Amino acid sequence: MAKKLPLKQRYAALTRDVHWEPSYVDPEKVFPYTSFEGIKIHDWSKWEDPFRLTVDAYHKYQAEKDKRLYAVLDGFAQSQGHLTLSDARYLNAMKLFIQGVTPLEYAAHRHFAFLARYLNGAGPRFAALCQSIDELRHTQTEIHTLSIYNKYYPGFHNWNRMHDRVWYLSVPKSFFDDAISAGPFEFLIAISFSFEYLLTNLLFVPFMSGASFNGDLPSMTFGFSAQSDESRHMTLGLEAIKFLLEQDEGNVPIIQDWIDKWFWRGYRVAALVAAMTDYMLPKKFMSWKEAFELYFEEQMLGGLFPDLAFYGIKPPRHVEHAIGEKDILSHQVYWVLYQFSFAASFTTTVPEPYELDWLSSQYPDTFDRFYRPLWDKARKIQENGGRFFFKGLPQLCQTCQIPMAFTEPGDPTTICQRHTVYNGERFDFCSDGCQWVFEREPEKYVQAWMPVHQIYQGNCGGPSVPEVLAWYGIQEGDNGEYLGSVEHTNWQRWHATAPVGS
Amino acid sequence: MPVRAITDTYVFPSSSRQELYGDDQLVHVLWRGNMTLCAAACFRAPKAMTWSAFLTEMVEPWAGSDPDYVPGSARDWVLDGRPFTPEPDRTLAELGVGHKSLIEFWV
Repeated sequence: MAKKLPLKQRYAALTRDVHWEPSYVDPEKVFPYTSFEGIKIHDWSKWEDPFRLTVDAYHKYQAEKDKRLYAVLDGFAQSQGHLTLSDARYLNAMKLFIQGVTPLEYAAHRHFAFLARYLNGAGPRFAALCQSIDELRHTQTEIHTLSIYNKYYPGFHNWNRMHDRVWYLSVPKSFFDDAISAGPFEFLIAISFSFEYLLTNLLFVPFMSGASFNGDLPSMTFGFSAQSDESRHMTLGLEAIKFLLEQDEGNVPIIQDWIDKWFWRGYRVAALVAAMTDYMLPKKFMSWKEAFELYFEEQMLGGLFPDLAFYGIKPPRHVEHAIGEKDILSHQVYWVLYQFSFAASFTTTVPEPYELDWLSSQYPDTFDRFYRPLWDKARKIQENGGRFFFKGLPQLCQTCQIPMAFTEPGDPTTICQRHTVYNGERFDFCSDGCQWVFEREPEKYVQAWMPVHQIYQGNCGGPSVPEVLAWYGIQEGDNGEYLGSVEHTNWQRWHATAPVGS
Repeated sequence: MPVRAITDTYVFPSSSRQELYGDDQLVHVLWRGNMTLCAAACFRAPKAMTWSAFLTEMVEPWAGSDPDYVPGSARDWVLDGRPFTPEPDRTLAELGVGHKSLIEFWV
């Protein structure tokens, strides 16, 4: 009977001891992707895995977490828990989540599996393997969690197809496609560091706290279930960047350049979260501005970057533009979503008076001056029997693919227009940041699948709006105005005080 | 700065190049000083379309999304950053409007 090894030795036996140096085959052929980016690694064994998880322990933990989550999901479904949400409007936030975030979890699962095969060191390979399995579990648990609402509410049914086709979902999709089509080290800086560490709280806390404040017990429980994985992912991000910086001084400028690029790319994706945080949660818990100040300015610019300065790393390029937008970002983006929601798989509506007042209190310098008048105008149009929509298609930014609604730094009334001519063709950008990202790698971004341009080329089901919506998989009731919508009417009926059966 | 790629040559055509639109092109129109319409509009317009047709068939119906728009009130036209005076009977191509040109106006 073999004696059980102590934990540390067991971990070494199950991870490092299954590694060998190839001798029959050229290591370059076994690991063909880790040299072309210019990153130099001298000693892969210096990669420390702070969690020292083994496969059997990993599965035991995850199985326990899943048991708890699925017990909550069953109870919520059996007790008609959806009727205890703050309001049916809240679910628009979760539609955005399943359409925009869940497919990214799956993409992360695929690419971490790739890294688990192609990184040279046993430590990072095993960390990537665990994260790959995590991301697949997140994909599955999110689908299961939100399927509860799919039974009763529109907009949840076609998220996977929509992610590949719909205009606003090309924003998160193109972000991840950009990372997956980069080299393995750039992917680690893009996803493990910038996305999972630098911006993660900004991206996930609003959804999960929003769930908790708005009675969405399943999503909140999913959030807790994912949290311990996320802390491992954050640690991987930090471990990755420190390892790369410590291995060779020549890596520093390459890493800085990637931080600059991926901060801006990630921040632009977060614009959708900003709109969701301030406008899509009937019960407010924190404004985008407050979240940005706490999770980004204080924790990252104030805490992380001073630590990274030791390696010669500076705060991301264009960060001053992001800080300058914190009072206006969410308002601009939700105004976009409001006027284009005829082509979205969620509904929008003029914020209630209490919400407008809350926005005024959170944004004293900008809301009443620039944005409340727009909502007053939209309400007036509605009172006269209309609904304000943008009757046409918008100009899109070639890099972030968001409609070009962002404004000149320091002037919220003037739309920012930047363009670059490359190979005789003009390309448009919403900001200095997006223009800079394009000009680093124009050969890459000219290939972007721009939803508006593709519609005009006839590649999206046909030339008319109904044909495009059908191709998107959007059905009657998924889109447009919330007031009078299927979900609004049902919600009122389900909460009417009339006796059952009357 | 060129792309660092796994292949020696990394060259792909633009997915939005003009030839994909045949005799047409994409034209962007921005109503300056108006926050109601959140962004410039993107139209697919024939190069041989006259300015007056472009205005009445494309620009004005879109500008009319904003109930405060008064048809015919657009003025101070700017084409690709330079002030210009559109002539109603000339085509977009003759006026120098190119693929993804930006046309701006005030009311």
